[in-house]
Amino acid sequence: MDKIDNTKKQDVDTTPEIDTQEAPQEAPCISRRQLLITGGKMGGLAAMSMLLPPQVWAGKSKRSGMVSSAVTARTARYPRIKVGRLSALKQDKPVIIRYPGKADGQKALLIKLGEPALGGIGPDRDVVAFNAFCTHQGGPLEDQYDAKNKIMGPCEFHLSSFDLTRHGMMVSASAVQNLPQIVLELKGNDIYAVGVLGLIYGYPDNLLGV
Amino acid sequence: MSNAGNNISFSTVLPEDRVPLPPPDADIKPTACDYCIVGCAYRAITWPVGKEGGPKANENAFGVDYPITESLVGSWPSPNQHTIVLKNGEPHHCIVTPAISERVNRSGNHSVRGGGIAQKCYSPWKPTADRLQTPLLRVRGYLQPISWEDATTIAAEVGRYVFDKYGEMAYGVKAYSYQFYENTYAITKLALQSIETPVYAHHDKPSAQDDASGLEDMGIDTFGPSYDDWAESDVIFISGTDPYETKTILFTEHIMEGRCKLVMVLPRKSRGVTWAEENDGIWLQVTVGTDTILHNAMCRYIIEKGWQDQHHIDEWAAGSEELDWGMGRGTRNTPWQWRSTRWGKSFKKWKKWLLKEKYAEMGYAVKMTGIPRKKIIAACKLLTGGGKKRRPKASFMLEKGNYWSNNYLNTISFGNLAIICGAGTRDGQVIGRAGGHQRGGVSAASYPRSKTPERFGKIGRKALNVDNWVRTGHVRFMWVIGTNWIEAMQGSQDLGDYIKAHTSASKHQIERFEVEHAIQVLKARADAGDMVLINNEIYLRTIGNQFADLVMPAATWGEEDFTRAQGERILRIYSKFYDPPGDAKPDWWIIAQVAKKMGFEGYNWKTSEDVFKELGRFTRNSRQDLAPLLMWAKLNGKQPYDVLRQRAATGYQLPLRLHNNRLIETKRLHNPHVHIESPQGISTKLKRAGSFTKPSGKLILHVADWKLFEDYYERIKPKKEKGELWVTCGRINAIWQSVFDDLRKPYIMQKHPMNFVEMNPKDAKARGLKNGDIVAMENDEVYIQKGGFYRARHKDFLFTNLEKDGYIYKTQGSASAMVYVTSVVPPGTTFMYFMWPGGGASNALSSAVADPLTNAPRYKLGKAVFRKIGTIPDHLKARMTFKEKA
Repeated sequence: MDKIDNTKKQDVDTTPEIDTQEAPQEAPCISRRQLLITGGKMGGLAAMSMLLPPQVWAGKSKRSGMVSSAVTARTARYPRIKVGRLSALKQDKPVIIRYPGKADGQKALLIKLGEPALGGIGPDRDVVAFNAFCTHQGGPLEDQYDAKNKIMGPCEFHLSSFDLTRHGMMVSASAVQNLPQIVLELKGNDIYAVGVLGLIYGYPDNLLGV
Repeated sequence: MSNAGNNISFSTVLPEDRVPLPPPDADIKPTACDYCIVGCAYRAITWPVGKEGGPKANENAFGVDYPITESLVGSWPSPNQHTIVLKNGEPHHCIVTPAISERVNRSGNHSVRGGGIAQKCYSPWKPTADRLQTPLLRVRGYLQPISWEDATTIAAEVGRYVFDKYGEMAYGVKAYSYQFYENTYAITKLALQSIETPVYAHHDKPSAQDDASGLEDMGIDTFGPSYDDWAESDVIFISGTDPYETKTILFTEHIMEGRCKLVMVLPRKSRGVTWAEENDGIWLQVTVGTDTILHNAMCRYIIEKGWQDQHHIDEWAAGSEELDWGMGRGTRNTPWQWRSTRWGKSFKKWKKWLLKEKYAEMGYAVKMTGIPRKKIIAACKLLTGGGKKRRPKASFMLEKGNYWSNNYLNTISFGNLAIICGAGTRDGQVIGRAGGHQRGGVSAASYPRSKTPERFGKIGRKALNVDNWVRTGHVRFMWVIGTNWIEAMQGSQDLGDYIKAHTSASKHQIERFEVEHAIQVLKARADAGDMVLINNEIYLRTIGNQFADLVMPAATWGEEDFTRAQGERILRIYSKFYDPPGDAKPDWWIIAQVAKKMGFEGYNWKTSEDVFKELGRFTRNSRQDLAPLLMWAKLNGKQPYDVLRQRAATGYQLPLRLHNNRLIETKRLHNPHVHIESPQGISTKLKRAGSFTKPSGKLILHVADWKLFEDYYERIKPKKEKGELWVTCGRINAIWQSVFDDLRKPYIMQKHPMNFVEMNPKDAKARGLKNGDIVAMENDEVYIQKGGFYRARHKDFLFTNLEKDGYIYKTQGSASAMVYVTSVVPPGTTFMYFMWPGGGASNALSSAVADPLTNAPRYKLGKAVFRKIGTIPDHLKARMTFKEKA
């Protein structure tokens, strides 16, 4: 288990923290630190099944300021890559990006959902990115974005589908992992990919070969 | 998270972004999934913490280069396939991932249940840390650790006392039917061989009867088909199950690959139904409980049109004389005999009945089932070809939605339809169950039916309804093994009331740890007419937690070597690959210690393999005949477990035959087109391999008389004026059985944090309910049958007459759940998960009045009024998904 270390990511995290007690719900941009906060017990192997308490923008969290060291640790080792511009995105028109590397398997869809999503950025918190391969057996999901329901799927192989407004949680699945979500940050109009939550199909480590 | 109750489990996962790869020298053991009937083959890979393999093929145990760039090739362990276990007391990495198999789950396919089975393993650092580790005795009301020596002494002494003083009718056993041959053999050896008690029932029903009783009566072995048969069918009539949700690999690997058209009969639109409709199939959205009417109307329409497979009927349907074969001159009192004597008919007579039967008229069917006439006709056409020259190959699959709403009539009418459509004997034209659990049951003795007081009419014997027998105060010692007895049975809260009043609320309670004191108190409990309760389990569940006097910690899947067959009869070994928690022991060991102390002989097994070697001969002449394997191993100087380990994922398809020192498998039963050689040695020439099971070897058509069910159905169906809705129930894709493992899998709990009920938007609007609201569901008409084991005349068993004669009393049931507002269920019908633990499950809302013809339960027929009592917290709502399974 990786030792959790806050300091590692200081060089890439430039956005100030936002206290949810005071921050408006429509926070214009949210750092990856605010993407997820945790109150789960840390340490040793227990951290492997980390539980996440209320989301920042649920607005009810008393834990504001408790920055997610878990997410910090997860994203610290990832490159920070500009993947698009907010103004260039059209609702429900996915754009193919590659992250964290250039390999085919690291193809992802950057999508403006038109509906707030967990981990979404932008003024409407509706811009998300997800890896484009099913976490069940690697089925291509590139053309399987369901704009009506904001889900990815059903995968043509075994019918798995994933809710893009809920961190890629299964809607109906054979997969045993959420669809990997690319952690995004907004700097002005520029969208940066800064990490991945979840393991990409076929990889033992998302950064293999990167 | 690992609460055993109905609370909200809040566990959103932060997904891992890497997984350790096993080094080339990691230990790889063959196993299979512990969950559904399909029993996909898996590999359990363990290696010490501190080591890791690399991404190059020569650096890891998979022998694969990473990243994998192709789909559908397997060998990619997702993070939920990894855990940390103890092995020989030391922490080990553990990956449980699908095998690359030639059978069942080819190319590493898996379901959402089995795919995460690594998270089932006991790990001191994970949510499974609360596994039971030591025997517990309830002292002064609290469960406290004691030794195996004391626990087995108390269970044996008290059990022996009850058996000697009150006889076997006071000693009950309620146990799983499936959790490995070795354990079910030991359990039945004690219950049915040593004690010979008829107070014995499996986890899923109140009495030891057949599941799809009607099909068994017709001569059909319900696990005869192979998975290739389903794949080779042109059309499959699927009744009361969605195999995508519950037998996922059978669906995604075999049915979808086969491109079969499906006729699905379900009240609820689950994912497989959508696929069926998208692939030229038909969904018959049946009103809960009306399948018999649908089947009868389809039969009648097909016969009227002359679309039946007359050639098949002429060859395989028993004629008037053949119906009597094998009945001898006796009383015809075994269940199939008295039922077939009464309702079995030749085709000619059956047809005559059908064409006159008013309940088989299309108009009546449309009214009762709610299915449009043109859809019923379209289904008839699809199944028969509608008179065209080329008849499609039609197969027929059923499961619990069919046989647990109206057991006998639904299964018998389903069988009639299958027979006239030409199914039963040929590749791709088969009849069978889809299955629930895997097939891990072997019985050391036959069930002592002659000892039960249950009679239908003067002669018709039935297996004893254990719940009824308990409720009527006959049972003083009850051993519950690996099942949530209360939540699993209908009228569950009333059953819970009885158990509570006679165990934890009895005035005879253990107050000190002395063994002699405990024994005396529990004997006094039994003498007072109360009940001593022993519970073997892997976790503390309702029975153990609240009521049991003794809790025995069981070692399970992965913690001991076991064997079992799956849905197409493939036998495999389920290897031990890590340490059981604490002092947990396999159930066969626990049974053996107690049996020996009770003074019974024949329990001197040292290992699982000893039990396996003994049980082989009890499988002879059955669909799971594995005795030839034991013989072959012996002849060739091998140990049977080694043979199975070498066979790994491939296993052996049962029944086996031994011919010229070769083991021969059986792909499908009821297959007259295969030559079976003369039996050699221990091999039997199994009748059902080449024909059907009844004496004539033919199929028996039966009259399915709706009037036998009508009064009950009319009585228990929802009353609109009270605002009641059906509460039907079943499995869903992501959850296995009583949620015991899933409560400890954060990936599953993020999606299903608490029990849920699906409700149509129209019904939700009328009640002011929204997604995420918590509702109280109450039924003030939960009927319980108490007594009425023996009745002189057939009509005495009609619900109306049971009630008139004082054998029915009325209770109420209450459950709560979170609402999903969804159009997958029709107005008037709601759907709940079938066995969420904590007592507030769907079975609290349905009546404990068994099918009088078979004693089978009717779990699917619950009802309730709905009232909002709260809503889940906003933060939880914000994290859950209410998206429909589009």
